[in-house]
Amino acid sequence: MTKPITMGAVLYDPKVSVIWEIIREFFEANGMPMDVVYFTNYERQVEALVGGLVDIAWNSPLAWLETQHVSKNDFVAIAMRDTDCDRSTHFVVRKGGGISTLGDLRGKTIAVGAKDSPQATLIPVEYLRANGLEAGKEYELRRFDVLVGKHGDHIGGELDAFKCLASGQAAASTMLDLNWKTWTADGTVNPNEFSILATTDQFDHCVFAVRKNFPEDAKEQWLRALFSMTYENPKHREMMDMEGLKAWVPGRTTGFGILDRAVKHSHFFQEVGL
Amino acid sequence: MEDTRWTLRITAAPPTGASAHVRKHTFAIGAPMSFDAEYGAVTALEYLLGALGADLVGGIQSVGRRRRVEIDDVEVVVHCTLHNPMVYLRVVGEQGDAGIRAIEARVYISSLEDEARVRAVWTEMMETSPVVNTLVKAVRLDCTYQQVL
Repeated sequence: MTKPITMGAVLYDPKVSVIWEIIREFFEANGMPMDVVYFTNYERQVEALVGGLVDIAWNSPLAWLETQHVSKNDFVAIAMRDTDCDRSTHFVVRKGGGISTLGDLRGKTIAVGAKDSPQATLIPVEYLRANGLEAGKEYELRRFDVLVGKHGDHIGGELDAFKCLASGQAAASTMLDLNWKTWTADGTVNPNEFSILATTDQFDHCVFAVRKNFPEDAKEQWLRALFSMTYENPKHREMMDMEGLKAWVPGRTTGFGILDRAVKHSHFFQEVGL
Repeated sequence: MEDTRWTLRITAAPPTGASAHVRKHTFAIGAPMSFDAEYGAVTALEYLLGALGADLVGGIQSVGRRRRVEIDDVEVVVHCTLHNPMVYLRVVGEQGDAGIRAIEARVYISSLEDEARVRAVWTEMMETSPVVNTLVKAVRLDCTYQQVL
């Protein structure tokens, strides 16, 4: 029997297991046995990946940087969702609230997500820093540490940050572009009351990470199976809709620059003991 | 008097399901539980909750008939939460157990009878129903009823 490939994934909700079960079953059916190991947080997953306990991991952007930091760049990003590419974070403000430029946020409170959320905290804080606004100096940072360890995979922190803005306790909140789109469509955010003040530089999100010396043939076979999943297949569509993608695409690491700078400026890895 | 025993035979139905054989009946059971809304079978957990709901619905009808209290309809909505469903999924780093934390059963009794008579049916049913009286000792079970016309 072919040795199964072991894949790691972090679960922020039990329902997420359905996504990986569909993927696992598809790989099995295509002669590519795969075991999926779930982790409660990315730190555990990175530890298992770097330690060789799992072959491939579905890494958040921060987990990708952690993996490279801990392993001294011993991994490659082999695949990602089409929707992981070119994301951005919006700074949302109340219309008519007197905030029309980033400079107007001086002396104000900005609500953000969890401390380890790339899209809701690390990247927007870095963007503000690059634009002359330092947290704790030029503005007060109000953080919503929901499910720390899961790198903001869930929407909890961002939603709480928006509620903080909506209740008048903050002058702005941060929101992933996709969440702005969803929430203004489903009524969570009223676009007549709130608007986008500014948008960060684009960045990339999750990637599948694998060690550089992972057997090339196994990697190629695994990628062939992954890329053959199509939105036209109803079973794959269920998974793709849940995971928010239309297609798997080759991995790239060119979109992690702003997060890398954020992590360095905030001494994030030193603070978490890496 | 010897204890009355109920016996079921449950056999595997690969990959994760089962078939339960009882007296002259057989029913299919899916995985212990599922988080997939599209999952194609009733899970063991759902059967347990269904059994509680059936115990309430059947008990009210049965007690009502004996007391000659006219019950037009009964409906129950059952909600359940687990201590930590991640443990069932073997998520590395999760703690606790995957057992039921709480069950909430909201019973709607449709009857034109006097409120006191319906209440008496409810009270007797709660005192005598086997599944209710088992689960109440094991989990946080909150059963309430509302009489509707």
